Parts: sequence; structure tokens; C-alpha cells
Amino acid sequence: MKKLLAILLVAMMLLGLASTAMAEEKTEVTIWYYWETIKHQETLSVVIADYNASQDKVEVKTQYVPFADFKKQLSIGATADVLPDIVIIDGPDHASYAAMGIFADLTDKLADWEDLAQYFEGPIDSCTLDGCLYGIPFGSNCLALFYNEDMLAAAGQEVPTNWDELKAVAKATTKDNVSGLGFCSLQNEEGTFNFMPWVWSTGATSFEINSENTIKALTLIQDLVADGSLPKEAINWTQGDTMNQFISGNLAMMINGPWQVPTMREQAPDLNWNVALIPVDTVNASALGGENFAVIAGGEEDAALDFLKYATSAEKVTSYIDEFGYIAARKDVAAGQFQDDPTMQVFSAQMAYALPRGPHPDWPSISDAISLAFNQVIVGTMAPADAAAEAQSTIDAILAE
Amino acid sequence: MERTLSPRKNFIYNLFAILLLCVLLFPLYWILVTSLKTEQEIFMIPPTLWPQVLNTTSYKAQLNAGDFNMFQSFGNSLSISLSCMLICVLLAVPASYGISRYRFKGKKGIVLCFLVTQMLPVSVLLTPMFMMFRDAKLLGTHMAPILADATIGIPFSILILKNYFSSIPAELEDAAWIDGCNRFTSFIRIFIPIAFPGIIVCAIFSFLYAWGDLAYGMTFIQDQTMRPITAGIFNFLGQYGTKWSYLTAFAVVTIIPVALIFLFMQKYIISGLTSGAVKG
Amino acid sequence: MKAIRRYFRGGNLGYLFVLPALIYMLTLVGYPIISNIILSLQDVTVKTIKLPVKPFVGLENYQKLFESGILQTSIWNTLLFTVCSLVFQFLFGFALALFFNRNFTFMKPIRGLLMMPWMIPITVTGLMFKFMFGTNVGIINHALMGMNLIQTPIEWLTQPGTAMFALIVANIWIGIPFNMILLSVGLSTIPQELHESASIDGANAFQAFKAVTLPLLKPAIESVLILGFIYTFKVFDLVFVMTSGGPVNATQVLSTYSYKLSFSLFKYGQGAAVANILFVILMIAGIFYLKFTYADEESV
Repeated sequence: MKKLLAILLVAMMLLGLASTAMAEEKTEVTIWYYWETIKHQETLSVVIADYNASQDKVEVKTQYVPFADFKKQLSIGATADVLPDIVIIDGPDHASYAAMGIFADLTDKLADWEDLAQYFEGPIDSCTLDGCLYGIPFGSNCLALFYNEDMLAAAGQEVPTNWDELKAVAKATTKDNVSGLGFCSLQNEEGTFNFMPWVWSTGATSFEINSENTIKALTLIQDLVADGSLPKEAINWTQGDTMNQFISGNLAMMINGPWQVPTMREQAPDLNWNVALIPVDTVNASALGGENFAVIAGGEEDAALDFLKYATSAEKVTSYIDEFGYIAARKDVAAGQFQDDPTMQVFSAQMAYALPRGPHPDWPSISDAISLAFNQVIVGTMAPADAAAEAQSTIDAILAE
Repeated sequence: MERTLSPRKNFIYNLFAILLLCVLLFPLYWILVTSLKTEQEIFMIPPTLWPQVLNTTSYKAQLNAGDFNMFQSFGNSLSISLSCMLICVLLAVPASYGISRYRFKGKKGIVLCFLVTQMLPVSVLLTPMFMMFRDAKLLGTHMAPILADATIGIPFSILILKNYFSSIPAELEDAAWIDGCNRFTSFIRIFIPIAFPGIIVCAIFSFLYAWGDLAYGMTFIQDQTMRPITAGIFNFLGQYGTKWSYLTAFAVVTIIPVALIFLFMQKYIISGLTSGAVKG
Repeated sequence: MKAIRRYFRGGNLGYLFVLPALIYMLTLVGYPIISNIILSLQDVTVKTIKLPVKPFVGLENYQKLFESGILQTSIWNTLLFTVCSLVFQFLFGFALALFFNRNFTFMKPIRGLLMMPWMIPITVTGLMFKFMFGTNVGIINHALMGMNLIQTPIEWLTQPGTAMFALIVANIWIGIPFNMILLSVGLSTIPQELHESASIDGANAFQAFKAVTLPLLKPAIESVLILGFIYTFKVFDLVFVMTSGGPVNATQVLSTYSYKLSFSLFKYGQGAAVANILFVILMIAGIFYLKFTYADEESV
């Protein structure tokens, strides 16, 4: 009996050794991402399967972490040193995690990577902190104006191109249960994303809130609410809720992004809608969205980078970026995208004017101050000038640190 | 529990109870109706009381959402909740008995301890617990959420059960002593059967706390196939907004099995066992 | 060995029953409590989180929080939310417990069905109430307009006062079954004979309730209230999904504020400090509870 046990034990140990030896042949690289859309998940897994089949040194695996939990999980992981090797992360948060020191500095490693020159400035900026590169852009998107063609026609209105026209069209299309304009105004990053185009269109920067220009943008919001064209409820709408309001016929116009387009075509095939550039004050502007790849410092950095170089090559990006409804962060790929899709071409055109938020390690706090300001104006608890002054004092304190 | 009511009173009570049920469960009805509408109809003004077009795609989607498997995560939730319930009952029943039937020094302090352990919001418990489970090599196993969930059920059960044990008359214990029971056997033979309805209620609440938990299950387990069923919410609550019909269909599907278990267990929940026991 | 035996004779035997649960709780929650206190005294932000030794700043986190003013708003909001929710869910729950203490035909199945709100994840409940309280698409406004109680839709979740009201309504709805079941448990321990003897003595229903039911139910009521207070005071998911603390911090409560500071703004030290303030307030409530319950129990 004892002998049998001993044999069994030895056998098990050998097996264990063998399996670890086999695992050692391939370096394992784990990626955290937060796309819950099945199409996104499948597209990503195709890229990864291709990569795993293309070589025998690295095995890439994915781990879905829900968007609502992503920042929390990354914070806890940073404290407890339990992190993957790559994360696919929301652009405006990139600088904060880079400042924590959990991302590897890729500046030197990518110094002679010729593809780098192909990237648009905005997405690269969002991966950069203090002159060092902490990631590679995955893909980009931006916001534009969606409008209901029938509603505008019924009210005898043309598509607005500047703020005065916007106010007039929004007012003319507001009646009964329909509001003229809606955009996500949540008091969080999503709301800031939708508010910044108005600020940037005046020529102000993200950090100049108590300026004549930003106050002008806040006053536009105030006027739209006063006219009844912008429902106060927008402070509780996600971008998805806004889209649902639009396709249900409760909004004549909305600000939203290209990722909604496939859903809208599927859910409301009979709705006549189109997309235009966001109405302008002095300059064209939109907010840059999208994700970046970042490599975790101290993980399997080289293997991770090898995968990233593969996944971000022009050929590979071309194969998946359309499926995501994203605009490539690479100029060579973006130029050939959406040749026969006029709707998506508007987004490509709008991309030229899209600015990144931040980048700043304390961007979340700055964004919080900005979103508080426009929420105060929408709810009516503060006048634009006062809200701007309060936000500025918060932002100045953050910048001074 | 009072004796049988007259037929007229019985009718009035039943009628009133049903009315009450309709008002209080309206939100549940609304969840059901929403799950059967299309996204477009959900946002219609004015809202429709019954779906114009019956939409069942939201239910089909439950079976096929990424690597989320409904049945598997149901099993995970069941295993987590039942284990947690077991730990809660095994630890809380003796503890509440000890607190209510014995006099010892520091009792107040101990009760305060049990209260204090529930006083931090979950968000700040996550990081330190994560590190403890990391060191104990429990991350990614069901054990991590089980141990964490039980910290809600234990103090709760102790606080409820200690009243239950206190209300048991001293004569009963004396009688047991005369019959030759010692402290432990009287606890097992006399107190547990009498407190059984209370224990059931505590077990149910411990089960439900673990069943409804999202934070622990999400944070301590990364593998989607190991996560509890509540994690499925995130498939419909995403970066770009909420898919209402899917989300509500998810709620309906997850409620049904638990509700059935409860309806079948009705006869064990809170009956007037004590009064009978005192007589006997 | 004998000494140990002697020690655990009599009252001290109680320790043996209590210790396993106590050790379990202190092991799992003791460390988080201490680590949170330490964290709240350190400057932990994006810049310092990976440092092996984090800078000690004393009470600076607390001071900064008080200066920003949102902390005071959150404390007030949390208290308002807790007291209003607790009073109403307790009264409704108590009334229902008394009602279901009668022996009518559908008593058990209906009481069982009323537990159902507890089986839905709170995230879903919160989203559902957010939807029902919507200005234009919400069923509540339409019902009120249908009954001619209001003429124009109320902007429930976009005005400070009504947003808090909506949150409290949702929380009462969640809390009623909890109170009802636990008080039912309490009621079922009251021997039937006591009611009978009270009615023989000529007491009417209300007198019997006051003389028999209430005093015997006192421990159960105290437990339900303290537990309800703790759970309501820590409220997180409901507020997080319904209003996220808005509009303009009008429904910001301590737990959502702590979460926001820690996981959205990366101010971990300040987040811990807010959680500690919540902890201290609850601790005071817990001490009061003990004073009340053991004032009479120890004299017995």
C-alpha cells in the first residue's frame, strides 16, 4: 500500500514538473480589456488567435473586466501587485496610471519603430506623460452631431453649423414630447467628454475654465436649457440612453459617437437620420475618445511589446478596426477607411478636429471640476460665471501641486 | 399566530393582502414588462403598460453573452451562497446562544465587536481583503467571496438570534437538566429545535446577502466562468450605456429560481413553533 | 488542563460558544479596519501609491475634506437618507408583520412573495427606479398625471430635493420586506397565551399591543433598528446607480463619496478618511444601542 502511494506521489510530481516545463516553453501574456460588446470581444480574440498561431514563443490570453469595474480593479491590482501584462485602457485615464508607475516606459524600446511616425498626434499625446511614451494607441473615435431628418424638415430647418443656428433649430424642433437637442451630461468623465467640444470650439483649453470663452460655452448650455431645447434630464443620461431617446423619437438632435451607428441601424431601420460636424463657435472641435494599449511594468514586457507590434501593424489594424466602428489611430489605415459609408466619413472628417482630454495625471480631478460646473449650470444652482470661477479655483489648486 | 378567522374577516384579509401585493410588487411587474419590450418602445412617451410588440430576443441573449454562461454562473452563485450560509449558521448559532444564555465579562464589548465589523463600506474593505486572499492563495477561488460574504451574515444572524434564544423560558432548560442533559446537549436538543424558525430566517438572509453580492465576487474572481450570476449584469451595463430589455430579462431569469425555492420552503419560514413547545 | 476546565465552567462557558465567530470576524475584518485607519493618515494618490513607505500626513486628509465642504453635505445627506428610510420602512414593515400575524388563507404565500424585492440585485432595482422616476418616460409621472395629481411632469432626479425623495422611496421599498420578516420572527416568539390572558383581562387590541406585544418585541425592534441603521448608513449601490450623488452632490452620501475619491479620482487617502468618518458615526450609534439594550438586560 505504502509503495503504491509512493509511486503515485512520484508520478504526480513528475507530471507536475512536466506540465510546468511545457508551460515554460511559451511566455504567457494576459490582456485586460473592458469591451462588453460580443462583436468587439470576438474581433479581439481573432487577432489574438492569429498571433498565437503565428509564432511559438508567446501565448496571449484575454481577461474581460467590466468598464464599471476597470479602474477599481486596476487600482486594487496596483496596490496588491496583481496585474496583467497588457491593459487596453480609456485614453483620459492613461496618464494617471502612468504616473502611478504601473506602466512600462516604451520611449526607448520604440525609438526605432518606424510605424510610430504613422500615428495621429492626439492619440499619441494621450499615451504620453512628461515626454515619455507609455503606450500605443489602439483606435480612436470622436463625437459628432446626429439629427433626425424628418423632424428638421417638418420644422423647416437646415442642419445647424454654428451656435446661433443650433439654438434656433433646437428651439424650432422642440414641441410636445420632443426636445431639440440632447447629449450625455453626467457628472463624470462621460459627461465631460460630451461637454468639452463646446469649450474647445471657443478656442479655450481644458485648463482655462474661468475664461470669457468657457463662460460663453456654459452660457450656450444655459440658454438651451432655458429654451426647453435641452432637457435637464440629460444629467442622468449615459450616451447609450441619449441614443435610445433619439431613436425613440424624443430628440431631434443629439451629440454622440460612431459606436452607436451599428446599433441604430439595427434597432431603428426606418428612422431617417444623418450625421454632421458639431456646430461651431469659432473653431471646429470634437472630443477624442478611444483606447490605448499599455504594457505593465515588471510583467512580460518584451513578449507584450512583440504582440503589440504585431497587433498594431497596418495590415492587422485594417483587418479589425472597421468591425469596432473605430477610426484607426494610424494615418495610413484611416485614409482608406469607410470609402462607401458616408455616415462614417463624417466622423473621419470630424476626427481632424478632435482633441484629447488632458493629458494630465490628475485629469480625473480636473474633469470632476468641469463636470460639476456644467451640471450646476444645467440644474440651475449656479450662474455660468460663478460655476466657472469655482471650477477654476479647483483646477488651479490641482495644477499648482 | 392567532386562531382561525371568521370567513368574512378571512375574505377581507385576503383581499387586502392581494391589493398590497399588487402595489408593492409593481416594480417587479415593470421589470417583467420592460424585458419584453424593444429598446425603442421602452423609451416611448407615454410609456406602454403592456408591450405592443412582444420582444423575446432579450431572453435568448441571456443564454449567449460572450463567455458568460447562465447555468454555470447560477451554479457558482449557488455554491458560494450555500457555503456562506453554512458558515454563518455554524458560527452564529452557538455565538448567539452564548451571548443570550451566559453571563460573562466583556459581553458588551463582544457585541460591539460584532457590530463594528459591519461598519466599513464595502469599497474600502476590497483592497485589504484582496491582499489577504492574495497571501492566502485564495484569489480566483470561490472561497474568497464565501469568506467575505459570511462577514455580513454572521453579525446579522447573531443579533437576530440572540433575541430568539433569550425569549426561550428558563423552565425549559431546567427541565432538560433534570432529564440529564448537560450544557451542550441541552443546546443541541432543546434550544436549536425551538429556535429553528429563527435559524431558518437567518440562514435565508445569509444566503440572500451572498446571492446579491456583486463587489466581492467581481473583485476576487477574475475568471468569468467562476464568477457568480450577478456578474452577468455587466454584460448589459456597459461602457456605452444600458441595454434595458436585456438587463431586465436578466433580472427576471435570475429571480425565478430563487423565488421558487422560497415558495417551496414557505412552510418552514417563521411558524409559531415556540408557543407549541412551551405547552409540550 | 484542569485549570482550563474550571475556567470554562459556569458563565465563562459562554466564551466557548462565542469565540469561533468572534475570531472569524476579527481575522477577516480587523485587518481592513486597521489598514483603513492608517491609509487615512497617509498621503496616498497616483504619485505615492507604489512607494514602499507612504508619506504620513496626520489629519491633513480630514482637514482637506472639511475645507472642500462636500464632506459636510455628504454627512447631512447620509443622515437624512438613513433616518427617513428607517422610520418609514420600519413603520410599514411593522404594520405588515402585524397584519401577516393573522391566520388567513393566503397569508404564507403572499408574505413569501413580498420577500421578492430582496432577490433582485440592488443594481437592477436602482436602475429600475431611476427609470420609473424618469421625467418623460417614467411611469410614476404618468400615473400621477393620469390621476390628475400633477399637471406637468416632475423632474424627480434632476432637482436636489426630489432626487433625495426618490432615493428614499426606492430604499423604503427595498427595506420593507427586511423589517417585515424580522419583526414577524419576533412576533412568533410571543406565546399565544399571553394575548389570550390579556383579552380575558378585558384589554382591547390596542391595549394588548401596548402591554404585551411591544415590551416583548423590544429586543427584536432594537436589533432591527440598529441593523437597519448600519445597512442604510452604508448605502452604496442604490445611490450609485440612481443618481451617482447628483444632481450637483445633492444626494452624495459618505459611501459614494468615498468610492468616488478612491476609485475615480485616485485620492486613496481621502477616500479612506471619508470611510473612517462613516465608521466613527456608526460606532457612536452602536454604543448607544448597547447602552439601551444592556441597561435592562444586565439588571435581570
